[in-house]
Amino acid sequence: MTQVRKKIILLLITLALAGWPAAHCLAESGPESATLDRLANLYEAVNFNHSAHVDITEGNCAECHHHTTGAVPTNPKCLKCHPGGQESDSMACQDCHSAKRFEVAYLTEIESNTQLYHIDKPGLKGAYHQKCMGCHQTTGGPTGCQDCHVRNEKGDEFFHAGNFSPAPVAHNGGH
Amino acid sequence: MKKINRRSFLKGGLAGTAVVAGTAVSKESSASQSFGGYPDSMGVLVDFTKCVGCRSCEAACNKEQGLPAPDKPFDDMSVYDEIQHNGQKRRTSEKAYTIVNRYKVKDREAGPVFRKFQCNHCNEPACLTSCFVNAYTKTKEGAVIYDPTVCVGCRTCMIACPFYVPAYSYSSPINPVIKKCIMCYDTRLKFGRPPACVEACPQEVMTFGKRKDLIKIGNARIRSNPDKYIDHIYGEKEVGGTAWMYLSDVPFDQIGFNTHIGEQPIISYVKEFLTIVPMVLTIWPALFTGFHLLANRKEALKNEKPSGKE
Amino acid sequence: MNNLAKNGFSPVVSHQKKDGTTWTVKEKILLGLTPKDYLAQQFKNPFNWILAVIYAIGLPIIIGRFIYGLGWVTHSSYDYPWGLFLGFGLFTMVPLSASGFMMGTTVELFGRKDFKPIERLGLLNGLLGYLFAVVFLQIDLGQPWRLIYPMFVSLGPAAILFLVAWHVATYLSCQVAELVPAFAEWMGLPRAKKFIKSMVLGLTVAGIILSTLHQGALGGLFTYAPGKVHPLWYSSPFMWFHFFCSAIFAGLSMLIVVSTFCKWFMRWRCDQTFLKSLDRLTLGLSKGAALALATYLVIKIIAIAHDNDWSYIFTGWGQWFILEISVGVILPLVLYTMALRNGSPALARTSAFIAVGGIVLNRLNTALITFNWDLYQEIPHWREMVIVVTVYATYIVVYRAILARMPILFSWKEKPDQ
Repeated sequence: MTQVRKKIILLLITLALAGWPAAHCLAESGPESATLDRLANLYEAVNFNHSAHVDITEGNCAECHHHTTGAVPTNPKCLKCHPGGQESDSMACQDCHSAKRFEVAYLTEIESNTQLYHIDKPGLKGAYHQKCMGCHQTTGGPTGCQDCHVRNEKGDEFFHAGNFSPAPVAHNGGH
Repeated sequence: MKKINRRSFLKGGLAGTAVVAGTAVSKESSASQSFGGYPDSMGVLVDFTKCVGCRSCEAACNKEQGLPAPDKPFDDMSVYDEIQHNGQKRRTSEKAYTIVNRYKVKDREAGPVFRKFQCNHCNEPACLTSCFVNAYTKTKEGAVIYDPTVCVGCRTCMIACPFYVPAYSYSSPINPVIKKCIMCYDTRLKFGRPPACVEACPQEVMTFGKRKDLIKIGNARIRSNPDKYIDHIYGEKEVGGTAWMYLSDVPFDQIGFNTHIGEQPIISYVKEFLTIVPMVLTIWPALFTGFHLLANRKEALKNEKPSGKE
Repeated sequence: MNNLAKNGFSPVVSHQKKDGTTWTVKEKILLGLTPKDYLAQQFKNPFNWILAVIYAIGLPIIIGRFIYGLGWVTHSSYDYPWGLFLGFGLFTMVPLSASGFMMGTTVELFGRKDFKPIERLGLLNGLLGYLFAVVFLQIDLGQPWRLIYPMFVSLGPAAILFLVAWHVATYLSCQVAELVPAFAEWMGLPRAKKFIKSMVLGLTVAGIILSTLHQGALGGLFTYAPGKVHPLWYSSPFMWFHFFCSAIFAGLSMLIVVSTFCKWFMRWRCDQTFLKSLDRLTLGLSKGAALALATYLVIKIIAIAHDNDWSYIFTGWGQWFILEISVGVILPLVLYTMALRNGSPALARTSAFIAVGGIVLNRLNTALITFNWDLYQEIPHWREMVIVVTVYATYIVVYRAILARMPILFSWKEKPDQ
C-alpha cells in the first residue's frame, strides 16, 4: 500500500514538474496527455487526453482550473479575492486539492486557521471525480467507472466482481 | 398465624425495600440532562447531491470490516431494484454495515438520488441507553462501538434504534451478536483516520471532520447554494444530534429519512418511566405499610380482647 | 381424575394414609395411585394425547432452535427483533401472572383473610407465569447462557431491561419463597414453612414494589421506540401505567379463568372450602378487575388526549384500536359490572375470559401488530408459533402437575378424612 502510494506520489510530482498543467494560461502550453494513477491499487491508470479536453472546453481553462490560470471568475463571490488577470503559482490540481484531505494535519488546519476561507475544498480524488463526472453527466461523456479506468484484478477482488464474483445463491433469509 | 407487630412488620418491609433499592438507585442518573456530544468528536457530512451510486463505499466497508462475501458483486446495480416487504428498500444487515439505495425523484434533473446509510452514531445513542449489559460505548471520537463479548442477545437495541440500523447474526447458533457500523473505530477512527467508506468514495460525497466543523461546512454549502439544497442538515439536531449528517437537494422524507423523528434523544422518552422508579421504591413501602396497619387495625383491636373472632 | 373421584377415589390430603401409615414421596408424586393405575389414568386422559402430539412436533423444533440458531425458527427480522417469544411469552405471560402479588397484597397486607382459599392459586399462577416468561425469554435470547451477565458480568444500570431483569429475578425468588409453605406442607418440612411465615410481610411488600416496577418497566421498554409503536398504543408518560394498570385486571381475570378450569377439570383436587367460596371469591376478584378496567380505560383516553392523537382514531389503525378497547376493555368492564349487579359468577367468568383475550391482543398489538405500523406487517414463522404452543403446553403440564399434588386448591390436613 505505502509502496504504491509512494510510487503514485513520485509520479505525480514528476507530472507536476513536467509542467502539467503548466503555469501558463495558454491552453496550448498544457500537456498532450497525462497519466492519472492514484487509484492504481484498484484501477488501471487513466490516460487523460488533456488536449482533447482543451478542445472540448474551447480553450476555456477556467472550466477546470478555476481562477488559477488568471481568468476572471464569473462567480462574484470568487471575484472578491481572485479578481483575475494573475496566474497562480501552480495550476496543478493536487497543489490546491489535497490528497490528504481527511488526515489530521489538514483537519487541524481547517479548524485552527480562522483566516482560512476555503474550509470545504474537495480533496484530490473528490475534485477529479466531481469535476469529470459533473461535466460528463451534462455533456454526455462517459460516466461509468470503468469507462475511464478499467478495474485491475485487485479491483475485481475489492468489488467481488469478475473472477471474484460470488457464486449465485438462492436467496434465503436476510430480511 | 403469628401476630405481626408493628416493629417486625417494618423490619420486613425495609428488608423488602433493600432487596430492590440496591438494584435501581442509579437508574435515573444517566438520564438526567441532555448531552450535546463530546466537544471534539468526529463526524461525517454526507452530501447526496454528489453521490453517483457506484457502491464503492459498500465494497470498502465489506473489506475493512472483514464481512462475508456479498450475494451480488458490488458493481451489480440490480440491487437498486431489489424490493423487500411492501416496498422496503435494502437495509443494513449482518453482511452489510452500509447500504446505498436509489430513490427515483420526480423532475430531478440529475436523475435518481442515491442515499448511503449506516449507523448514524448518535450523540445520545438509543442502543446504548437501552443495553442492559452496557455493551455499547460512545467514544470521545464520536463512534458508537459495541462489545460482542457481553451481548446476551436481547435485541432491545434493535427495538430502540430510531434508524433501524443494528442487525443481528440470527444464523449463528453459538455466538449470535449485533452487527453494525462502528465507524471503523478499531482500525481507523481511533488513529484519526476517516472510515473506509469515506476514503473509498470517488466523489467525496462524504466529508470527514470534527462534527462542529461539519455543521459549519454544511451550513456554508446551503448558504452558497440556497436554490440547490434543502435548508436542513439532517442529523444536526435529530434525536439529539448524530455524528453522521446529511445534505440533500430533495426533501428528506422522499429519500427514506424519517422526518418525524424529533429532536429529543430517545432517552428523554424513557425518562418519564425512569423517574417513577425511585418514587415507587421510596413511597410504596411506607404507603403499603400504612395500608396494612389501617386494614388490620380492627383485627388488632379485636385480638387485644380475650376472644378473637377467628 | 374427576371420574375416578366419583368412584370413590380420595386424593392425598395429608401425610397419613387412611390406615394410619405415612405416604412416601413416591406415592405422593403418583397421587396415591399405584404406578399402573397412574399410567392408565394418564393414558385415559384425551388432553394428554393432544399434549403428546404437540410435543412430537414441538420438541424437535425447540431442539432445532438451539442447534441451528434463531434464524431457523424465526424470520430473522432486523425490523421486528422481537417476535412471538417475547410478544406473547414475556409481554403477555407477565401481566397474566400479576395475580401473585395481588393476592399476596389482598390477603397479607389488606388483611382480607376471606380471599385465603384462592391466595395460593394466585401465587402459583404468578410464579409459573413468570417462570415460563423466563423460559420464553431463554428461547428468544441469542445467547441464553449469558442471562446472568446483566447481573454480575457487565452491568447496564441505566437500561430499563436491567431493571426488568433484576426485578423479575428477585420477584421470582420472592414468589418461590411465598409458595414454600405449600411445598413444605406437602413434603412435611414445618420449619421451612415457619421461616417463610416470619417474613411473609416483607416478601409481600417487596412483591408489590417489584411488581409495580417491572410490570411498568415492560411498558417502559416500548418507550424506547416512539416512532415504531403506533401513537395510539404509545405514550411516553403513561406507558408504564398502562402496562401496570392492565396487569391488575389481567392478573385477576387470569385467576378467575384458572380457578374456573380448576373447578371444571380438577374438581377432584379441590376441597369444599375452595369450591364453596369460589363463586363469592370470583365476584370479589371481579370487583377488583372492574375497578382496574375502569381506571385503565380512563388513563388510556387521557394518554390519547395528552399526545393529541385523536386524528389517528379515524385511520384504519384507529379502528383496530377502537376494536381492541371495545372488546378487550369496555366489554369485560360492562360484563363484570353486570355480573356484580346480578351476583352472577358465570357472567363474571365469561368476562374474565374476554378480558384475558383483550390483554393478549393488547400486548401483541404493542409488540408486534402495530409495531412498525408504517413499515410492513411481520407474520411470525410457523416454527416460532409451534415453539410458543409447545412451551405453553409445558406451562399447562407443570401447572396441572403442581395443582394435583401440592396443597393449592385444598388445605393440608393433619389426618385424612375418615
